[in-house]
Amino acid sequence: MKVGVKIMPRNEVLDTQGRTVGAALKRQGYEVEDCKVGKFVILDLKGEDSSKVMEQASEIAKSILCNPLIESFETVELS
Amino acid sequence: MSLKEKLDLYRLNQDEYKMICEKLGREPQGIEWALFSSLWSEHCSYKSSKRHLKKLFREGPRVLESFGENAGVIDLGQGERIAFKMESHNHPSFIEPYQGAATGVGGILRDIFTMGARPLALANYLCFGDLDAPRMTTLVDGVVRGIGGYGNCVGVPTITGQTEFHSSYNGNILVNAFALGYFGKNDGVFLSKAKGIGFDVVYVGAKTGRDGIHGASMASESFEDGDESKRPTVQIGDPFLEKLLIESCIEVMNLGLVDSIQDMGAAGLTSSSFEMASKGQVGLDLELDKVPLRDSTLTPEDILLSESQERMLLICEPQKVDSLKEVFLKWGLDATVIGKVKEERKVSLFWNGDRLAEIDPDILVEEAPEYDRNYDPWDSLNKKEKIQFDSEKINLEELKSYQGSTRSWIYDQYDQRVGANTARDCSGSIGVIQLPESGRALGIVLGCRPHVMRHDAWIGGADAILYPSIELSIKGFEPLAVTDCLNFGNPEQKSVMSEFVASLEGLNLSCQKMKTPIISGNVSFYNESNGDNITSTPSTGLVGLRDSLSYIPADRFQEEGSQIILIECPQVLLSGMRAENKGRDLEFTGELNVQEVSRWCEKLKEMVLKESPLSTRIVGKFGLSYALSRMSMDSVSANCNLNEGEFSGEKLYQVLVEVKKSKSEVWINKMDARVIGETQATGVLVLNKETQFQVSELRKLYKGGLSDVMGAQ
Amino acid sequence: MSRVGVLRFPGTNCDLDVFRAIEDLGHEACWIWYANPFEEREYDSYVIPGGFSFGDYLRAGAMAAQSPAMDSLKKAVKKGAPVIGICNGFQILCEAGLLPGALVRNEKLRFIDRWVELVDQNKEIYSLPIAHGEGRFYIEEDGLKELRDKDQIWLTYKDNPNGSISDIAGIKVNSVSALMPHPERAMKDWMGGTDGRRFFECL
Repeated sequence: MKVGVKIMPRNEVLDTQGRTVGAALKRQGYEVEDCKVGKFVILDLKGEDSSKVMEQASEIAKSILCNPLIESFETVELS
Repeated sequence: MSLKEKLDLYRLNQDEYKMICEKLGREPQGIEWALFSSLWSEHCSYKSSKRHLKKLFREGPRVLESFGENAGVIDLGQGERIAFKMESHNHPSFIEPYQGAATGVGGILRDIFTMGARPLALANYLCFGDLDAPRMTTLVDGVVRGIGGYGNCVGVPTITGQTEFHSSYNGNILVNAFALGYFGKNDGVFLSKAKGIGFDVVYVGAKTGRDGIHGASMASESFEDGDESKRPTVQIGDPFLEKLLIESCIEVMNLGLVDSIQDMGAAGLTSSSFEMASKGQVGLDLELDKVPLRDSTLTPEDILLSESQERMLLICEPQKVDSLKEVFLKWGLDATVIGKVKEERKVSLFWNGDRLAEIDPDILVEEAPEYDRNYDPWDSLNKKEKIQFDSEKINLEELKSYQGSTRSWIYDQYDQRVGANTARDCSGSIGVIQLPESGRALGIVLGCRPHVMRHDAWIGGADAILYPSIELSIKGFEPLAVTDCLNFGNPEQKSVMSEFVASLEGLNLSCQKMKTPIISGNVSFYNESNGDNITSTPSTGLVGLRDSLSYIPADRFQEEGSQIILIECPQVLLSGMRAENKGRDLEFTGELNVQEVSRWCEKLKEMVLKESPLSTRIVGKFGLSYALSRMSMDSVSANCNLNEGEFSGEKLYQVLVEVKKSKSEVWINKMDARVIGETQATGVLVLNKETQFQVSELRKLYKGGLSDVMGAQ
Repeated sequence: MSRVGVLRFPGTNCDLDVFRAIEDLGHEACWIWYANPFEEREYDSYVIPGGFSFGDYLRAGAMAAQSPAMDSLKKAVKKGAPVIGICNGFQILCEAGLLPGALVRNEKLRFIDRWVELVDQNKEIYSLPIAHGEGRFYIEEDGLKELRDKDQIWLTYKDNPNGSISDIAGIKVNSVSALMPHPERAMKDWMGGTDGRRFFECL
């Protein structure tokens, strides 16, 4: 089962990439209010029970994929 | 909130509270609590160390700026000057290694270019625990990537360093960052004392966010279990923004648009504004609502305490502000007037017209408490009449240990050549750069050997200056000046404070005798977790000068058929690192005569400059056998006939020199040296008839160790 | 003696190094600020130095490729002007479409700083230092075939440090050449070698 894990910098923490990309887009003439840059990880996990698989994905995200000090994550079921 | 709760929150004790009430003539109110909390913290006020730091040897004909400014400045002659300093970022690196190390590099760079010096080189002094201790490989990996990630992007080469491993650092790693900057003939030195009544106070750089709020107080506290909650105040560094800041600041300085400038480091806007005012003996009116914010929910207290990175505070004549803003705009940075300099010696903080506080800056800066922590006069407990060494076969497995193997896994991740000024990089015993205008050579080396500190703190402190001085001298460099980073445990414990005072005495005496003043420095206390203190580690950064880049002796044997000479100034014999690793007691015999070692060091330098030996090396950890094997790593190896006794322990001090046969007489006579062998190109290292090693095997051992463990990450 | 335009972006680090190297070889080096378009007739050739333009955020060279100076450079290239891209310069040229392929993260995912041996089209060997985190050259099958057929592979690594396809360290397509190693760091003996001097020959 495929699960997506969206990892973004936490709101209070400085997003250096987002800041720079946003400024570059503004310079190109786009009216950008804010920009955040994160990561999207796709996990293909064994299992039929979707709630169990999502739980496992969350565990993986919490313990390995995400640095809770500076990032937050969201899991997303993929078809 | 009760008084006790408030004192706990702002990390002040009862005595400090009483002092504050006396000085203000009343109880502190509102944001005054936050001001005292940060500026009277250990990290900002140096309250436990100040009285001892005052005794340091700081004078010299080359010293242009010293303590009291962001970094020390040394005159190199010919119009060239350098600024350098070293700083710790131990506690943040233990919590978040990448960002802790990265912001450590960023912070020390700002201390350099805030004076108008273009950063020329970086170095770092790292102490880690056992690699199998919890989290340790993650910490090593994070710290190295953080230093590389920041230094490489900001475009300053990392050219030397030192990495130590010992279990005493298991709960507290040390990350000390050193930076050096350069002033050419036409470059001015910029100071931080605010002056110019009526001048504008300008904030430049990144917008302010929640980074590191209460960070300065955190560094003044030890770790205890359950500290996961000390997040989420991690400061995030942006080396790209720092690069923009370096270029824009140097540009406005060159255009004569800046009067004085200071970076916002620990305690952010608070420390920079109060310190600038106090040093300049002026006052400031600051409108906190004008501070550019990344997060509009920040309160005035948050703004004062935020440690968002890559920000500077500068003083500018009102008629020059528009030109100044233009330059920063070009580089994409904020430059906002947030206040004015005034004559009345008070810093007044405003928020949308309301005055939140008005304090004489001296109260917070000059009049911060000074403690006389208890210590005992130094007692060399490990001193013995004689040391017994177990007879053991030399096996050079030490080459594979964490302490003895190559650090290339680490420094291959650092850009060592950006700037195209690097002559000797991290693979050498010292870092060497070419000075941009005169083409002369500058040598940089870091000092302090924790295992020597564990033998004896006084000797370890002296060694922290003498050992790197010898390293510079045997390459023909004249040691000029010193910066230091004093990493110790809990100063409220007598044993720690005693080591602090003793090592500082040894260090200071050595600086006096070597004529190398201490021009800047940093103290990091409370490196303690769950009651365990680190090895007292007074790390040092030394800089040396040499007229030419030519004929700098190599670190390894160069030619077959040369003579290997051993030169000694034998004062002390340590049981050494080998004995320590085997679990034996640390012992030493002898007395370190700093004066004599200094004279010998000077003589060595003169000889090297006159005779240009092929290669030189100081004998350090693991003693003579290890040093000979390190020198034999290329295609030329040693062929000696030494007895086993020569390989026991570590002598302070010994130096190996490789000279052409025809030149050895001079060395033997002038330096009271002896020939211990010859070089050969047989691929075999011969210590004596019974002890021989294949160089290919030695290379394999040396390239393993640290690299094997970390490479598997 | 030619007038060489040296491009500068926010975050470019090796600009002063390249400037000095060019002047050392007897040319006149001139700065080109990324935000300003320029007239092609002002310069005889161009160098895009290494560094971390825009912090290497998003992708190395991605934001730098979209700037007014690069638009002018594209016009100059159409007229056959020689351009050398070094390290970040190589990345910017690929992102700008002036060279085929892309530079991605080193295979072992770490920044690598070391001296390497390079082989050129005449099978001669040179030593230059590399220092990069995203130096792995990637190109699709068809693109690689074209590079080979047209003899556009300028330099290859003797001992591939970063997983580049076909050991490619530098390519040359018409008047545009680029390499990951840093020739400006190998100009004098005390730097560790002088093999860098010949790489600016096309200027």
